[in-house]
Amino acid sequence: MTRRHNTRTIDATLSLLDRQVLDADDVPVQVVTDLELTDVALDHPIPVGTGAPVITALLSGPVLATRIFGGRPPTSRLHRIDWADVAEIGVAISLSVRGDSLAVTWVERWISEHIVGRIPGGRNDPE
Amino acid sequence: MILSDLLHRTVRDDSGRTLGVASDARFAVTDDDSGRPAEARLVGLIVSRRHAGSFVGYERTAVNSPWPIARFLRWRHRGSFLVRWEDIAEISPESVRLRTGFVRHPSALPTDEDGRDAMKGTAS
Amino acid sequence: MKKLLGLALGVLTAIGGFLDIGDLVTNAVVGSRFGLTLGWVVVVGVVGICLFAQMSGRVAAVSGRATFEIIRERLGPRAGVANLAASFLINLLTLTAEVGGIALALQLASSIEPWLWMPVAAFAVWLVVWRVKFSIMENVTGLLGLTLIVFAVALFLLKPDWMQLATQFLQPTVPAAGAAPEASSTYWYYAVALFGAAMTPYEVFFFSSGAVEEKWSIKDLGQSRLNVLVGFPLGGILSLAIAACAAVVLLPRSIDVTALSQVVLPVAAAGGKLAVAFVLVGIVAATFGAALETTLSSGYTLAQFFGWSWGKFRKPAQAARFHITMIVCLLIGLGVLATGVDPVAVTEFSVVFSAIALPLTYLPILLVANDPQYMGRYVNGRITNALGMLYLVIILVASLAAIPLMIITGAGA
Repeated sequence: MTRRHNTRTIDATLSLLDRQVLDADDVPVQVVTDLELTDVALDHPIPVGTGAPVITALLSGPVLATRIFGGRPPTSRLHRIDWADVAEIGVAISLSVRGDSLAVTWVERWISEHIVGRIPGGRNDPE
Repeated sequence: MILSDLLHRTVRDDSGRTLGVASDARFAVTDDDSGRPAEARLVGLIVSRRHAGSFVGYERTAVNSPWPIARFLRWRHRGSFLVRWEDIAEISPESVRLRTGFVRHPSALPTDEDGRDAMKGTAS
Repeated sequence: MKKLLGLALGVLTAIGGFLDIGDLVTNAVVGSRFGLTLGWVVVVGVVGICLFAQMSGRVAAVSGRATFEIIRERLGPRAGVANLAASFLINLLTLTAEVGGIALALQLASSIEPWLWMPVAAFAVWLVVWRVKFSIMENVTGLLGLTLIVFAVALFLLKPDWMQLATQFLQPTVPAAGAAPEASSTYWYYAVALFGAAMTPYEVFFFSSGAVEEKWSIKDLGQSRLNVLVGFPLGGILSLAIAACAAVVLLPRSIDVTALSQVVLPVAAAGGKLAVAFVLVGIVAATFGAALETTLSSGYTLAQFFGWSWGKFRKPAQAARFHITMIVCLLIGLGVLATGVDPVAVTEFSVVFSAIALPLTYLPILLVANDPQYMGRYVNGRITNALGMLYLVIILVASLAAIPLMIITGAGA
């Protein structure tokens, strides 16, 4: 039985940018602040018939300063999540992988292990 | 390439005349067999006359209420249009240049049979 | 009983929002200087907060998104950051005031200096945020805060001239005669302050995040509405009772309200030591509840804006940055209090600044409540939208008038 492949149209600023990314367990991972697209030669005329770029990754980065003052963070400081890990686009963007396996969660994990986890009761459920 | 290379860039026609600013990027998302959004391909850029943020995208969605705000935002974004990828000639740090004879498509998001936006997609 | 406890979130939000240390004093100040002639502002404010809390609760229940996430997603980058800065600062100021307020209330009860109570209060707040389940926290604080009903009881015991009170309430004119005539700009300054106190953004942040904490979904929409319709009007009624008590006891004697002890004076006059004991329990509970609410709101706003994992329902180790934020905020609050600043003066400032931040907070809520992508078929009805637009105008007016009035009147001197 063949499935009809669902295609829908979305706009980046309305449906992707500034959206919450949740991992497979619905734990918040990051906020999408940018998108990585397949490369297109910049400053070069684009040959007629070149295929349109596709989204290759969700990006997030330290945007607080750039949003106040303008510009954008250097590419090296942006965390990326492969588009292949995206499971669903709805009100939030759900991934098919768990947060622990992603590089982007290292700040949370570091604080969790070294500070919060060391305070008594930090690893327990609230009661 | 990063989306920020496209967004908020000045959009010019082939003679160098400023048409507006790229306020958004439209993608066609195709699901694979398991319902995953496997491919998100750039359809084109939304060109708006003003620099201001889109604010829920009233001018493009079917959302109509509260009506004073909807009316105001549609007025503010009047004249915005979609230009397809095929009509983009060159992307440079300064601007996005369009090909000769580019077509201005309506910027409204396609709606499904219920009149709601197709972006609702699969059930949550 | 379970149904009654299900209203705890609404009651706690209202108590923390309407009856925190700043409101307790402001209501008494207003009553002692203006009688009940500013009562209509409380009513307008209660309707407004009911409207927006109901919308944000509905959005949280249907879409699972709390208010500050909506603000981030809908306002766009610059306005979002502006709102974050304003809201976070207001939260921090209020948090500082509340921790100070707990200490002031405990001083009244124990005659021990407030500076000794402040670290204890901050630690206690942190402990509850760290370890106590959300539902237990709201039930206990909400119930204890309800003892503030003793203000209403005291009002009856004082056998006031009801006709005079009703006249003041229904004919809101600036008292021009009497021992201490007030300028009309001062009248409007306090009107804006009372309105800002009723509609403080952190009430909405807390209520919608609490809805997510309690995992409300579509089937809880009725409960959400009930929480709002019971909690906030209750807070409003108690606010009016405090003002009325001050109007009856303090206004005729031109007693100025400068400290918590004057707020409690009418209750002492009406019911003696027993009533005062009840009211002190209520005040400690209410300021503690407000401290919890603002501390959690600091965590919620920052975590939701940056997309961190948050929630009291998670182990602290799984919401690390959320908890660190709150610890840091409490420490900053303690630090500010250690400089000797008067907690009450701090709230009076933060209330006016709340009025300024209101439009940026409420516009996204109104917009998202109409967006089928978030709400499905639970979008706003026409009446809700009409009221929402009306209040947006009122909020804008209050927001624009706040600073000029503050300057002209010297912050209500």
